Amino acid sequence: MGLLDIAFIVDDDPIHQFGMKILLERIKFSNEVLIYQNGQEAMDALTQLIENGKKLPSVIFLDLNMPIKDGWGFLDDFVEIPHQNREKVVIYVVSSSINPSDQEKAKNYAVVSNYIVKPINKGQLTKVLDDLGLIDAV
Amino acid sequence: MTPVKSVFQHASIPFAIINHEQFFVDFSKQWLSSFDLESDILGKNFFEAMPELPEELKIDINYCLEGIKNRSDSKRIVQKNGNSIWYDWKVSLLSEQDENSSPNILVILENVTHKRLEEDLLIKSQQVAKIGGWEIDLVRNTIYWSKMTKEIHEVPEDYIPDLAKGLSFYKEGHSRETMAKLVKDGIEQGIKWDAELQIVTSKGNVVWIRAIGEPEMLNNKCVRIVGTFQDIDRRKQAQLQLENSRASLKGTFDNSSIGMALVAKNGKFIDVNSSLCKSLGYSKDTLLNLNFQDITHPDDLEIDLFLLNELIKGKRNSYQIEKRYFNNNRQLVYVILTVTVERNVDGEISHFISQIVDISTRIKAEKKLKGLLELTTNQNNSLMNFAHIVSHNLRSHAANLTMISDFITDESLGEDIRKDSLKLLTKASKGLNETISHLNEVVQVKLEADKKLKSIPLNPLVDKVLTDIQAVIDENRAHVHISIPKNIEVKGVLAYLESIVLNLVTNAIKYKDQSKEKALVSISATEDNETVVLQVEDNGLGIDLDKYGEKLFGMYKTFHGNEDARGIGLFITKNQVESMGGKIVVESQPAVGTIFKVTLLKK
Repeated sequence: MGLLDIAFIVDDDPIHQFGMKILLERIKFSNEVLIYQNGQEAMDALTQLIENGKKLPSVIFLDLNMPIKDGWGFLDDFVEIPHQNREKVVIYVVSSSINPSDQEKAKNYAVVSNYIVKPINKGQLTKVLDDLGLIDAV
Repeated sequence: MTPVKSVFQHASIPFAIINHEQFFVDFSKQWLSSFDLESDILGKNFFEAMPELPEELKIDINYCLEGIKNRSDSKRIVQKNGNSIWYDWKVSLLSEQDENSSPNILVILENVTHKRLEEDLLIKSQQVAKIGGWEIDLVRNTIYWSKMTKEIHEVPEDYIPDLAKGLSFYKEGHSRETMAKLVKDGIEQGIKWDAELQIVTSKGNVVWIRAIGEPEMLNNKCVRIVGTFQDIDRRKQAQLQLENSRASLKGTFDNSSIGMALVAKNGKFIDVNSSLCKSLGYSKDTLLNLNFQDITHPDDLEIDLFLLNELIKGKRNSYQIEKRYFNNNRQLVYVILTVTVERNVDGEISHFISQIVDISTRIKAEKKLKGLLELTTNQNNSLMNFAHIVSHNLRSHAANLTMISDFITDESLGEDIRKDSLKLLTKASKGLNETISHLNEVVQVKLEADKKLKSIPLNPLVDKVLTDIQAVIDENRAHVHISIPKNIEVKGVLAYLESIVLNLVTNAIKYKDQSKEKALVSISATEDNETVVLQVEDNGLGIDLDKYGEKLFGMYKTFHGNEDARGIGLFITKNQVESMGGKIVVESQPAVGTIFKVTLLKK
């Protein structure tokens, strides 16, 4: 049993998808890990869940640089979702960009909890659980 | 004493006969009409009938009554009403046959006010005009100079001139030689003269004079020369000054480095200087047969004519604009034009003065500078992009490699995961390799930007590219339409041009709109003086430029989720276009299509 119910990975890089999935499973991050190739796919999935009255993911790991709809586009759409539906959703930006202006920009979104620079490792994901107050259970 | 009717009463002389008591005994009709009298004066006293006569006349009459035969004089009297009248008179004692009877007096009296006034005026006007007279009597060998002539020579009134002295006043050189020859020709051949020469007065002043001489010939021999002598120094000086300033103005006009023209009201050139001819490349004769409308760029004509009209209406006295002319090769000449209006004494416009500063070189430099600035900005942007690529794209591969190698070395992970990790290691290093080769390609374009550009015919090049990708075109059932005018050539690098056309055409096919019946691609080209615009238009998916416009030409930017989209083609294309001094722009609408316009240099 995972500590959380659902986690989203939004990233177009298959290697990153693969690595994230392994790491999340190892620390039993969540019961379910759903992978989306870009912001549009993730947005569509969220809309679907809301329409069906289902539970939204607890954490979204969001890449910035993606085709069709990038991370920023996703964030802009996400804040349009009615507050009561998304208040428990936590978003982490996971990007290889070390450009300070990207980190600065991410801070401007209240829904973004933190900015993680790739490569991601087990320690960083454990810290996410810690931030959520779930670490004792590990 | 009975008055006798004179037989002379009809004579056209104003006369009267009075007796010793100064009573009228006879008079002519003209007497009455001259002095506005009636015939009832007969038998009346002369001075009572005509009270306003000069006192001197009375005295002369008395002299005659006392036995003096003739008296004559000329005097002025100021009448009570203020008029001043000149009288001329002759008084004669009429000798009587009858010794016993008293003598009668004949009075001839004339009002000469008019004549005197004219003489006065003549003298005055001669004084004002400073015209003197002179005469050479060749029979008696004497010379006469009038008072004014002497004044002009600044000699005393009692000065006695002779021919040699007269000539010696003329300024040495041209003036004296000319006058000597004129006098000689006058004496020998009777030729008149009218000359403007310089004399040196007795006080040493140099004065311009006008001398007119008219010889009188008798039996082919000159006996006399009469003439006038006028001081024209002030007029001559003014004239010379005017000529001087005209000459210097003309000199300024002709030699000015600024183009200058005198322009008639209808726009025709009256005069142009050599600077303007040089700027415009026309000869003076050609320009004088043109008007400014003929050589003005049509887009600049309206404002020019508008302002000119304001000059004509008197709303302004001058104007300045930046405008373009065409030179003799129909090339543009950029100028700053200043037009001022010249009016004659009546205030009517006589002509316009145009000053034309050729700023073509400046404009060219400005354009070049602007182009360089644009290029620098572009290069700066692509450099930023490049830095971003290095930091972002290389980093993402490096991050993957780190993560994967962590897995491989982590023995706590399952065998199957470690096996998959190995596969992904290969994939990650391949990706890294690919990115590096892309970066290399970009650097290559930048390095080769300085390559010598060659003239390349566009038509065969497009044909060759289309042949190369015929399979792709057929496979997608795309319809490619080409309309490129024959003989269009662009300046560029052959490999780049091929790559650009290839990229744009394959993009147009790759991003076709499946919902449309046919994928249409249209390749066309248009040219102007300096550039060729190559256009590739499709009816494909289109791009939302509001969203992606600025990223479109960025590296690793893809927009449609196509599997083989790598986000490298347009980036390279843009770099190649810019390295050849061109530029690329895009117009697009989602679901309608996309147009790429590539501007390339010509020759």
